[in-house]
Amino acid sequence: MKHSQLKEIIKKKASKTEFAIVTNLENGLSEIYEPGKSLGKEFETHKEQIDEFFKLKKNGVVENTEIFVETYIRPIKIIIVGAVHIAQYLVDFAKSLNFEISIIDPRGYFASEQRFPDMKIINKWPEEAFKEIETNENSALIALTHDPKIDDPALQHALKNKFYYIGALGSKKTHENRCKRLQDSGFSEEEINSIHGPIGIKLGGKSAPEIALSIIAQLVSKTYNK
Amino acid sequence: MKNSFDEKILEEANDWINANQKVVLATVIQTWGSSPRQVGSRMIVNEKGDFSGSVSGGCVESAVVRECMGLIKDSKPSKKIEFKVSNESAWEVGLACGGEIAVYLEQIN
Repeated sequence: MKHSQLKEIIKKKASKTEFAIVTNLENGLSEIYEPGKSLGKEFETHKEQIDEFFKLKKNGVVENTEIFVETYIRPIKIIIVGAVHIAQYLVDFAKSLNFEISIIDPRGYFASEQRFPDMKIINKWPEEAFKEIETNENSALIALTHDPKIDDPALQHALKNKFYYIGALGSKKTHENRCKRLQDSGFSEEEINSIHGPIGIKLGGKSAPEIALSIIAQLVSKTYNK
Repeated sequence: MKNSFDEKILEEANDWINANQKVVLATVIQTWGSSPRQVGSRMIVNEKGDFSGSVSGGCVESAVVRECMGLIKDSKPSKKIEFKVSNESAWEVGLACGGEIAVYLEQIN
């Protein structure tokens, strides 16, 4: 592989586009595949099979050929509401797992750049903040403020937009009250039950990094069950 | 959701090259039976034998490092190697788990 191609691949990854790398294992030639883009002669003959790998988001050698396909998909988007202590550890975990993170917190003193260097922090109320983030069923919400004024509108947005993972921090009692409020706002029992509350798997830990670990473990597990 | 959990090996390879190191990229291209790392798993090796990432659970990395260094020494662009069920020298080459993997090595230049 040429260094220029490696740089192009890294650039594509950073811009969150979906693509594949196709490599001829016999002669070492490789190209970047994108839907709709034509490939070199030797790959073009197997375009249909390459397409198939891409659609299934699979990696592997195309049957009866020496062509290896490696697909790259868009990272999953996590929206964290509440730039609190736990969020600082969540950011660390999520980075090494290649999630794309946005943090929403209308409280400026929490959402400071010093607490979250190099992070996209939206210093607005959730209703306004979500206008700046494209979300869909591949998005996840982690609500950490346990303040209904901030968490509730975010939870409502996530439910309406069918996020695959929605979790909310708070005790059982806090969660019960939250469920009641959502019910009053017209959400169905099924929708409300899809919220993970209290958030995270049962690890037993109480410190901020331990809670962050229990949340991220639940999120990864749901990502594979999606 | 394959590949979402990316290990940033390519980015690291780029850093190594920018630091004037020779780099070989090793990628798992096929697996049979139980193998610790899935297809697409990667590691990088430089001319000194430093490496990062993985293609197995530590079973064949030493052999991959050797092969990669050989590739740099002989100035060969690429090579495919296969590892089968382990024998007595299990931690040298071969997969203790009984699987088989094929690894593709390519120099970045």
